[in-house]
Amino acid sequence: METIGVSLGVIIGSLGALGYYAFVFLPAQLHRWRCQSLRAFARLIELRTQGRYGDTELMVELAMRLSARLGIPKGERKRLEMAVYLRDIGMVSIPYALLNKPSPLSPLEQLTLMRHAEISAAIAEQIPALSEVAPLIRLHHVVYAQQPDAPLSAHLLAALSDLMELAHQSDYETALMQLQAEAGHRYHPQVVQAIVAELQTRPLEAWAPLRRSAALWLGLILYPLKDLTRLLVEFSRH
Amino acid sequence: MTPDERRGSLRKRFLLWSGLLSLGAASLLIKAGSPIQREGHLTLLLGLGTVALVAELLLVRYPLRHAYTSRGIWMSVSTPVVVAALMLYGWAMGVWLDAMITFGAGLLVAWLKQSRLRWVWLNTAQSTLCAAGAGSFAALFALPPQPEGLTAENFARLAVGLFGTLTLYSAINVLLMSITVALTEGVRFKWVLRESLLDTPRETLPMFPLSLLLMVVLYLYGFAGLLTVLAPYLALRQAFILYMRQHELYHQTIRSLGFLIQRAHPYTGGHLQRVAQWGRKVAERLGLPPERCELLYEAALLHDLGKTVLDERVLNKPGRLTPSEWKQIQRHPQLGAEILSNVPFLDAIVLGIAYHHERLDGKGYPHGLRGDQIPIEARIIAVVDAFDAMIGGESPSQQRPYRHPLSIQEALAELRRGAGSQFDPQVVAIFEQVVQEWTPLTRKARDR
Repeated sequence: METIGVSLGVIIGSLGALGYYAFVFLPAQLHRWRCQSLRAFARLIELRTQGRYGDTELMVELAMRLSARLGIPKGERKRLEMAVYLRDIGMVSIPYALLNKPSPLSPLEQLTLMRHAEISAAIAEQIPALSEVAPLIRLHHVVYAQQPDAPLSAHLLAALSDLMELAHQSDYETALMQLQAEAGHRYHPQVVQAIVAELQTRPLEAWAPLRRSAALWLGLILYPLKDLTRLLVEFSRH
Repeated sequence: MTPDERRGSLRKRFLLWSGLLSLGAASLLIKAGSPIQREGHLTLLLGLGTVALVAELLLVRYPLRHAYTSRGIWMSVSTPVVVAALMLYGWAMGVWLDAMITFGAGLLVAWLKQSRLRWVWLNTAQSTLCAAGAGSFAALFALPPQPEGLTAENFARLAVGLFGTLTLYSAINVLLMSITVALTEGVRFKWVLRESLLDTPRETLPMFPLSLLLMVVLYLYGFAGLLTVLAPYLALRQAFILYMRQHELYHQTIRSLGFLIQRAHPYTGGHLQRVAQWGRKVAERLGLPPERCELLYEAALLHDLGKTVLDERVLNKPGRLTPSEWKQIQRHPQLGAEILSNVPFLDAIVLGIAYHHERLDGKGYPHGLRGDQIPIEARIIAVVDAFDAMIGGESPSQQRPYRHPLSIQEALAELRRGAGSQFDPQVVAIFEQVVQEWTPLTRKARDR
């Protein structure tokens, strides 16, 4: 009797461990890996657009908190995270001069710039592992008044993208006020409400030093790394 | 040898080899005789066959590794069932079972995916030979047919026998498979063998606990116990699929980054592909290990990734560059490395990208490394990239006025002149051989 109990316990335990490994741990690992590889795409655009270094990490963090607040389901949340990394990848085909133009853009230039959503989505569609994110990327500048029935995650992505952009042009408070003024017209009211609530519990100013320090740390780490790699290369030769 | 002749000789070799294998397999099957020697063996054969067939069909097929994409050869998941049958029910049973399963699964897959039937034939012969070889070892550890309970001694016998049988099975499989790939794809046997030996432990080890479980269950409870093995099998299958997806993800990331380079800066005529392929060839001739050759291929494909960040007015400028513009261009190896620096699984190729414009005499950029400080990957990319740019492969549509494309011989002479100061002499020497063997078809297009 006792041996049966023990062996049953062992069997159930090992089945549970195996199941956890195969159906919980490994998929999560895969998602982490995927996001890490997408960071390369995001970094590329950050480097191409001046003064945007470190934006993506901040936005991923914000998007994850807000989607939890808005009750967006888990699968959609994963897609949202990947879309944050990939949304601007189409900027590689936007001319450098236009992308980094300091003065306000003319309507024609504005139109050209807005093509990037379509191009990003087209690029994502080419990659089988990322094609499921393409619809979300295509909608990442969706206007609430035009397409109110687009998925909530797309509205969230649109509001957040614009928040980051506006915050770069002025400061966070003005950006947030602009967002609130456009709620119901340009942005989904529920999303704006969630953003305001989230930023009240943790204002964006609290994020800024984090972001600066992240960039600073990266610079601090990368700079001596240059010599370190040289040393390592030298070391491995002799 | 023209490509047509080469294809013809490969086909002949394939036919000869598969004929040889089939002869061997057929004689073994005849020698084995009927597998049904006792009562109940027929149901067992059919039952085990069905289970293994289902297992085969549930598994996703994948190419061994992308280097030698072997179109029709696979490592079978029904191996645990076959090995269990070999040990518990004798040699004849195992050999017939394996032949049946592989043939049936192959036919089904060929029908579903509309692939070639000739591979089914080859696979069947091959797995029959594997089962026969491994079975002769399994016979040494066979258990008495009447179950008398599973004593510790019996269990140890099973485990040891199983391990040996499984190892022998996959060893024969790898050997035959490598010969097949080497013959039909025209690559060196040594490389294929090395490549597939690297993969084998990862594929075979998960089979060991599964086979052991399967065997104990079969021994104690007979065929009905088999159903309890299905749950762990499904979990294992899921893990395997995810692992494969991860592998796929890696290659898709690389391919799409390569695609982005082409979007940002219009390379034409497959400059990147040529640099990557030549680079891999040079690395292989230099005797680098296969996995490093693969990494070199990927590094070479992405060596100009940093250019996606730069201003395309500077990149495409027809005339001479001003010093400040030149300084911008010189940032591109570093930028490329920075883009990839946050991706853990691309670490290995970053150095090849960061240093591909360094020169042996220390006059290169970005860091002015000298001689042996420059990793071999970067030295190879430097030579191949310079050659393809010199013959006008980089951007023939917009030739710069001061850089008329050279002929192949002129470009090679230029490389020789730079050997020792700009380029690694050894790499240049090997690369010359590679260029001489370049197929005439592509050469005609470029040599006008």
